[in-house]
Parts: sequence; C-alpha cells; structure tokens
Amino acid sequence: MIKLMKKEFYEFVKTKKLIAIIAIFIFFAISSPIMAKIMPEFIKTISIGITIIVPPPTWKDAFLQFFKNLNQMIFLILVLIFIGSIAEEKNRRTASLVVTRGVDRRVWVLSKFTFQLLLTISLSLISFFICYYYSVILFPDTEFFPSFSSLLLFLVYITFVISLTILSSSAGNNIIQAGGIFILVFIVLNILNIFPSLKPYNPVNLSSMETQWIVFGVDWNSAVKTVISSLILSIASLVCGMLYFNYQELE
Amino acid sequence: MTVIKTEGLSKYFGKKKALEDLNLEVPEGIIFGYLGPNGAGKTTTIRLLLNLARPTSGTAYVLGEDIRNGRSYLKKVGFLPDVPNFYNFFTAREFLSFIADISGIDNPEKKIGKILELIGLKNEKGRIGGYSRGMRQRLGLAQALLPDPELLILDEPTSSLDPQGRKEILDLICSFKGKKTVFFSTHILSDVERICDRIGILKEGRLLIEDNIEDIKKRYTRHRILIEVDDTEKLIEKVNGLSQIKSIERRNNNGLVLEVSDILPVQIDIPKIIVEENLILKKWEILEPSLEDIFLEVTNK
Ligand SMILES: Nc1ncnc2c1ncn2[C@@H]1O[C@H](COP(=O)(O)OP(=O)(O)OP(=O)(O)O)[C@@H](O)[C@H]1O
Ligand SMILES: [Mg+2]
Repeated sequence: MIKLMKKEFYEFVKTKKLIAIIAIFIFFAISSPIMAKIMPEFIKTISIGITIIVPPPTWKDAFLQFFKNLNQMIFLILVLIFIGSIAEEKNRRTASLVVTRGVDRRVWVLSKFTFQLLLTISLSLISFFICYYYSVILFPDTEFFPSFSSLLLFLVYITFVISLTILSSSAGNNIIQAGGIFILVFIVLNILNIFPSLKPYNPVNLSSMETQWIVFGVDWNSAVKTVISSLILSIASLVCGMLYFNYQELE
Repeated sequence: MTVIKTEGLSKYFGKKKALEDLNLEVPEGIIFGYLGPNGAGKTTTIRLLLNLARPTSGTAYVLGEDIRNGRSYLKKVGFLPDVPNFYNFFTAREFLSFIADISGIDNPEKKIGKILELIGLKNEKGRIGGYSRGMRQRLGLAQALLPDPELLILDEPTSSLDPQGRKEILDLICSFKGKKTVFFSTHILSDVERICDRIGILKEGRLLIEDNIEDIKKRYTRHRILIEVDDTEKLIEKVNGLSQIKSIERRNNNGLVLEVSDILPVQIDIPKIIVEENLILKKWEILEPSLEDIFLEVTNK
C-alpha cells in the first residue's frame, strides 16, 4: 500500500503535476484576500463620474473569494488531474502489469484514493492557513472559527468528489469515459436538488453552505445530515470503485 | 507436476468465440510454444491464465491453483504482454525497483543490475518514454524475470527484436529449460523450432494439435526428394512408372520435387534410372518437413 502510494507520489513529482497543484493552491490562497482588498478600490478608480457605493471590504470578502476559488478552479483542476488515475492506467495497460504481479486490485484502488485524499487535504490546509495569514494582515478583525468551519465543510465535500472520481475512473476505460461518467453523476446530483426532501442529504449543497457560513455564521446543526450522508456516500462510491475494478476484465 | 492445465477453457466476446474448449497441459520445466495465425486466440488464452479476463466456461489450473478461485499464484508467474507499456516517467532501473517493491523483493539492487545486464539495458539511463519498441520488449522481459518466477508467460516475446537481439533473447529463454516453465506465443516458427519442446497450434479459437515437436514432425512427415538433372522431361517420363511416386512438382528450371510413399526403394530405383538414361545429376536432397510446412498444412485444413 505504502509502496503503491510512493509510486503515485513519484509520478506526481516526475510529471510536474505536484508542482502545478501546489502552485495553484498557493496562488489562490494569497490572491483571494488581496483581491478582496483592492477590488473595491479598483472599481472606484474605473468608475469616474458615476458614484457607485461600494461597501468597505471585510475579512468575509476575502474568504468568500477563497472558497469560490476552491469550489471552481481548484475543484476543476483536481478532477481533471485525478479523473484519469485508474482509467488511463487501464487504457495504457499499466494496470494489468501491476495486478499480474499479484497486487490486490482493491488495495491498488485504495492506494490511489488515499494518496489523492491526503494530498488534497494537506494542500487545502496549507492554503487555508496562508489565506488566513494574509487575511489577518489586511483585515485585523478576521475570524478564525467560521472560516475554519467552512474549510471543514470543504474537506468533506472534496472527499466526496475524490471518491466519485475514483468510482468514475474505475468504471471508465479511458479518461474521456471516466470524465463523462463523473459529469453525468454530478448533473444527476444537481437535478435531485429539486426534491426538497432529498436536499439535506445531497453532498453538492456543501459548497453553497460554505459561503453561507461565512456570511451568516456557522450552523453545524443544519449541516449534520449533509455531512454524514456525504461521508457515507464517499465510502460507498470508494467501495464500489474498488469492487468494480476487482471484478472487471483488463486488457 | 503440471504447471498449466486447462479444462474446456472457453471465452466468448458476445457471439464471437475467441477460445473454445481448450484442453491443454504444460508439464514442468519445458518450453511450450503456442502458435496460431492472427486472431486465433493466443492473447485471449494468456489473459485468461493471468486472471485478467474470466472464462465463459471451463477453467484452468496454474501452478495447481484454480484461476477462478484466487490470484495468489500470480506472485510466482512472470508475464510479458504483447505490447509492453510501462510508466513513461520512470527510468528502467526505477521501474524495476518499483516492480521489486510490489513483488516483495528485499534488497533488489544487485538483482536489478544483473538483470539489466542480462537483458542488454544496462547503459540506458533515460526515461522509458523514449524507448524503442525493442527496448520496451527487453524491459518487459526484465520485469517478468525479476521476481524469479516459476512460470514465464510471454506473449510474442521476440516480435520487435532485431536478429541479434532475437538470438540473445531466445538463448536466454532456452537457458531456463529444466529450471522454469515457459509458455510463449509467437508467429515466428523458426524461433519455435529452435527452442521449444512442445507446441500447440491454435486456429479460430480451437486447438488443432498439441504434442512434442519430434512427434509432430514424425506424424506429418511426408517423404519428399528434390532432384535436379539436366533433362527433367526424360526423368519425369521414367519415374512416372514407379509405384511409390505420389506426386511430381516442378521447381525452378530443372528441379523436381517428388513426393513418395516409401523412401527406401525410391532411393535405389531413381539413381538407377539416372544412370541408365545417362542423365547428369546436379542435386539430390531429401527434404525434411519444416515446422512452417506443418503449420501451413494444419492451419489450412
Ligand atoms: N476484448 C475483446 N472484445 C471482443 N473481441 C475480442 C476481444 N479480445 C479479443 N477478441 C477477439 O478474439 C479473437 C482472438 O483474439 P486474440 O487477441 O486472442 O488473438 P491472437 O491469437 O493473440 O492474435 P495475434 O496473433 O494477432 O496477437 C479475435 O478475433 C479478436 O477479435
Ligand atoms: Mg496476440
């Protein structure tokens, strides 16, 4: 398991994926509070003649910006990088090379998931603290509790997303198929939101909850259902991905 | 001990019967050549034996283990795929360390060095991504050999090698005789003739023949003689009267290939005719059946 994860890590280093991800995380960590600070000034300077009333920026704007970036750019980049992890190894037949060496197929999938999760969680934490640091400098009244609570929500959300990429990647035979499956599941989850009774259990709502907590304050009680169901669904899709890969035929 | 034993092993892809009712036994320590034209089902058989694909019906026992029940035998098997692909970001040495890691080999450095030398990749420092097909095939063999397996399953191991490399690799495979069991598929009949103890010929998913090379040759031996004389017409005229002649075929300008039912009397009678008719004998050769003749005969039926 550790040996398989070591290979994943080495691959990320050698193919420069690691450095790219780190750079992106750090870029958004630093730019979010700075953008929040200078944006209103910027709007003022370009709107000569018209008076636009821009409220002074607060720490909330910094973290709203930060979580927007996590949920859009970083989400997209992580999915793009992780989605091929199993499917492309099947396509290139390196998967069969490893499993014919007697490596347990389920362990192989689990090692990919664990590596991706650990990488994402550690980078999210690092970039959160960088963002927090700059935010405190620019907005001395920055509050830790709501922003960190939102980060925890994000970690739950991204755990679900990674387990879904593992499942998609295990089901698809190449990166395109895997991506298609992932998008399909994601669209279905968003459609399911039209049923109000299902809404509290739908992991996709975690991302909007993050910004709500920043704006209106932390409310763990209302999030319990979503968090628990997201974690259960994460485990379920990871296990499905492992079992399906174990069962399927490889080239 | 029987290293590979298949019982009614079959694999269908939808309606397509890639492999049908294969019954095969490969005893320990031999080199088994698995032959067949394109699409015969060789790779399919290998995928089944390695548990990469599941049989539609029937089963196989590899190193005593039923392939349907477990995968632990894979640790004792080395596999070279038909189109070897590796992680391109590794160098050969790094890749072999990774294989050693997941195969549970301790302190593999010395072993890796030895194998790289054996396989002719010792001086390759670059990434695998830049390797030629032949180099990949060599590396594929290296990773198959690294865990010192009891059984080697090689899918067309020499298909992209140059003549020199082919000889080296065949000599290497040959050196395993008696120590490891080798099951390899190929189209290259001269390779098979050179190193195999036993062969199976597959066509359209069915095993047509399986036996020792010697026995197959005996079974398919047709007695043929190549004769070259100055006046072939005369010889044909005279030879036609002999009862043992089954067919006469012209070859080149003044050559004849005679197929005979019994070679001994003919070897006395024809020289007599040549002497009597004052013909000039330029060439006299008893033709051995080559594996290629047998392969073509068996697969064209
Ligand atoms: N995954 C698959 N799906 C559908 N058909 C397949 C699949 N794999 C193999 N086949 C079919 O099974 C038959 C046997 O293929 P196989 O690859 O075993 O042949 P082969 O003997 O290895 O041929 P070659 O000498 O060209 O390597 C072919 O007709 C092929 O089209
Ligand atoms: Mg093949």
